[in-house]
Amino acid sequence: MTRLFDNYDALPDRFFDEVISRDDTPRVHYEKMMRRFTQLSPEDIRARRELVNIFFRNQGITFTVYGVEEGIERIFPFDLIPRIIPLPEWEVIERGLIQRITALNEFLSDIYQGQKILKDRIIPPELVLGSKHFRREFVGVKPPLGVYIHVTGSDLIRDGAGRYLVLEDNLRTPSGVSYMLQNRQAMKKAFPVLFDQYKVRPVDGYPQQLLKTLQEISPTLKPEPKVVVLTPGIYNSAYFEHSYLAQQMGVQLTEGRDLVVNNNKVYTRTTRGLQRVDVIYRRVDDDFIDPLVFRPDSKLGVAGLINAYRKGNVALANAIGTGVADDKVIYSFVPDIIRYYLNEDPILDNVETWLASNPMHLKHILANLETLVVKAANESGGYGMLVGPESTAAEREKFAEKIVANPRNYIAQPTISLSRHPSFFNDNEIAACHIDLRPYVLYGKSPSIVPGGLTRVALKRGSLVVNSSQGGGSKDTWVIDI
Amino acid sequence: MLSRVAESLFWMSRYFERAENTARFLDVNFNLMLDLNSITDVDHPNYWKPLIMVMSNLDNFNAHYQEYNVHTVTDYLVFNRQNTSSILSSISMARENARSIIESISSEMWEQVNNLYHFLQSVTPQQVHTDPYSFYKEIKNASHLFQGITDNTFSRNEGWDFVQIGKYLERADNAARLIDVKYHMLMPKRGQHLDLVKDSVDIIQWMAVLKSCSALEAFRKVYLSKIDPDNILRFLILDRTFPRSITFSICAAQEALWRISGSSLHRYVNNVDRLIGKTDAELSYTTVEDIFHKGVHEFLEEIEHGLIRIGEQLHLLYFAYHTPKIEPLDVSEALPFTGVAGGRANWSQSQQQQQQ
Repeated sequence: MTRLFDNYDALPDRFFDEVISRDDTPRVHYEKMMRRFTQLSPEDIRARRELVNIFFRNQGITFTVYGVEEGIERIFPFDLIPRIIPLPEWEVIERGLIQRITALNEFLSDIYQGQKILKDRIIPPELVLGSKHFRREFVGVKPPLGVYIHVTGSDLIRDGAGRYLVLEDNLRTPSGVSYMLQNRQAMKKAFPVLFDQYKVRPVDGYPQQLLKTLQEISPTLKPEPKVVVLTPGIYNSAYFEHSYLAQQMGVQLTEGRDLVVNNNKVYTRTTRGLQRVDVIYRRVDDDFIDPLVFRPDSKLGVAGLINAYRKGNVALANAIGTGVADDKVIYSFVPDIIRYYLNEDPILDNVETWLASNPMHLKHILANLETLVVKAANESGGYGMLVGPESTAAEREKFAEKIVANPRNYIAQPTISLSRHPSFFNDNEIAACHIDLRPYVLYGKSPSIVPGGLTRVALKRGSLVVNSSQGGGSKDTWVIDI
Repeated sequence: MLSRVAESLFWMSRYFERAENTARFLDVNFNLMLDLNSITDVDHPNYWKPLIMVMSNLDNFNAHYQEYNVHTVTDYLVFNRQNTSSILSSISMARENARSIIESISSEMWEQVNNLYHFLQSVTPQQVHTDPYSFYKEIKNASHLFQGITDNTFSRNEGWDFVQIGKYLERADNAARLIDVKYHMLMPKRGQHLDLVKDSVDIIQWMAVLKSCSALEAFRKVYLSKIDPDNILRFLILDRTFPRSITFSICAAQEALWRISGSSLHRYVNNVDRLIGKTDAELSYTTVEDIFHKGVHEFLEEIEHGLIRIGEQLHLLYFAYHTPKIEPLDVSEALPFTGVAGGRANWSQSQQQQQQ
C-alpha cells in the first residue's frame, strides 16, 4: 500500500470497514480502486474534484438550505471514492428488499381493507389505527393493481459484523434517486479509467423503469397514459430531483396550480385548454395534497384531487396513507409482517427496537438512555432524535420527560456503529467515514430494483448522521460483477 | 404546453433581452463619454440621466442616489437589487424562471443562464469601473450565446414561439424608449434639427444611438454616411430587415403569435393577434414624415402603450390560470405578471419547504 492509504485509520476491530478487512488487508473487490487512487497526485485529485464540482454546479444540482437568506444553494457534497458492492452481496440485498416491500404492500392492502392482521392480534390495533399517518378516509378504497408503494427507498446499514440491516423504510416520498443517477455520471467523467477496470452494473435505466411503473398503474386504458410529476415548487429542497425525473421521463412537471379537477377528473391547464391526466407521481405530502380533504390552508395541493382518486379516475404514486407502514413503531413489527403474509423468514433483519409504548420496553429505554438512540416515530431527516452516547445528562433528562409524556411517539435502538468507508477530507487526506445505503425499489405490476442506490456518508469526522440536512454527503455506489 | 411553462419561457427570454439591452446602452454611453471628453463637460448629469429614463424610472433612482454620474448609474443599472430591471435582477429573474421549467428547456440553455448568473455573482463594481468594456462584452456575448443555443437545441414548438415573443416585445419596447428619450434630448424643437445636427457633438450622439442598437454598420450600408435624424428614425423604427428595428421586432413577435393561434394576415382569432396586427399595420403604412407630423414622442408613446396592452392580453389569453370563479374580467384584477420570482411562486414558499 502506498501514500494515500498509508495513514488510513480503518480500526477494523471496532468498526466494519468496507475496504479493509479484519486482518488489515484490502478486500479483493477494492484492490483496483486503491491502486488507481494511489497513482493519483493531490493535483490530479484536485483537478477531478473541480471537474465534478463544475458538473454539479452547471447542472444546477444544488439543494436549498432552509432558514438562510435567498440565493443559498449548495452543492450536495460528493465524495470521489466509490462504494463497491460485489454482485453476490447485492443479490441478497435485492431479494431481501423485494421480500420486505412485497410484505409491506400486503400489509397496507390489509390495513385499508379487512384489517385481518389486527384481528389476528399480530400488531396491537391501537398502534396502527392511532398512527398519525393512518388515513381513515381511505379504508375500503382500492388503488389500481392493489399497489400502494410504487416508489420506496429503504435505508440499509451494516453493523460491526458487516450484516446488512434495515434502519427505516421510506414509503411516502423518498428522495435522493437523482443523486444516484448524477453521481454515476460525474464518476464516469472524472474516473473513466477506473470505471473501465470494473464491470459496473448500469443505473441509467431508472427513469424508464419509473415511467413504466407509473404507466402500469394508470386507471384508464390508453396506449400512452398521461403521467405528470407533481412538485411543491422551486423552493422545495428536492426541486431539482423533481424536475430532473420529469425531464428524464419526458413528462410534464406540474405544480398544484397547474392542475384542476372538473367532474372528478384531473386536467392540466395549458395554453390550449384543459388536458386529461391519468397518473400523478406526487412529491407533495398527504397533508397538503388536497385542501378540501386534508389541510385546508394548503397552497400546494389540488382541490378535488382526492375525490377524483377515490372515483378511480386518476392514480397517485405513492398511494394516500402509506405513511402508516413506515411509522417507526410499525417498523418494529415488519419481521412479523413478513412472516404473517409471506410465511417466510426475513432475509434482511431489523435493527433491534424497543417501543416506549410497551411498559417493559419503556423501563429498559429509560434505564439505558446513555447507550441508546431514541427517535420520534414520525420524524425524518435526522430531526427529533437523541443519540445517547453523544448526549449530556441534562439532555437525557429532558428527553426522558418527553418520552414518558408521549410514549406512543418514541422508539429506541442500540447505537449501531455504522460501517465505515474511506472518504476525502481534503485533496490529499482520507479518513474513515460512516455510511449507509438507500436502494430504490419500484413496484408496478411487480417489484424491481436498479442495481445500486445512494450511499450517504457522514463527512463530519466521527458523526453518525448521514442526512444531507445535517452535513452528510454522498458517494457513487457500484454493484460489480466479479 | 402548461400555461405556467409558457409564461416562464416568455419571461426568461424577456429578462435576458432586457439585460442585454441594458448592457449595450451602458457600454455605448461609457464609450460616448470617452469621445466627448475633450469637447464638452461629460460630468453633466444629462449624459447619464437618460439611461435611467430608458431602463427604469427616475423616482426609484432618486430614492437611492444623490446624483447622476457614471458610478451611481452603473451601480443602479448593473447591481442594484432594488431596481427590478438592473442586469443582476434581470438575470436572477431569468434564472428563476428557467429553474422553474428546467425540465422543459434544453440543459444547454439552463447551463448558459446559470453560468451567467454565477459570473455576475462573482463580479465586483470595482471590476466594472476599471474594465467596463470586458464586462459588457461578456453580458452581450452571453446573451447572444443563449439565443444561439436556444436556436440550436430547442424544438420549434409552441415553447420556442413564446421565447421569440418575449424577446421581440422586450426589444421593441427598449428600442422605442431609447429613441424617445434620446430624441427628446437631442431634438428639442422641430425645425432646428438641420443646424443642430451639424454640431459634431450631436452627430457623435446620434451615432451612439445607432450603436446602442448595434445598428451603425447596418445603417451605413443603407444610408452611407448620412447621419441625420430622419434617416436614423426611419431605420430604427421602420426598417423591415434590421433585426433590432421596432417594425422588425413587431413582425417577428406577430409571426410567433400566428404560429401559436393559427391567425393570418387580416384574420385574427383573438385579442392579442388583433392588437399586434393593429400595431403592425400602423408601422407598415407610416412614413417618417408622418411620424414627425404626429410628433415623435407621441408616436413612440402610442407604440409603447400598444406593447403594454399586447402583453396584458397575452397574459390573459395564455398564462392566466383559468378557472371559472377566478377568471378576471379586467387586467387590473389579474395576477401580477413578472414570471416566477416576482409573482406567484414565493407565496407558498414556507409550505414548499415543509414537504418531506
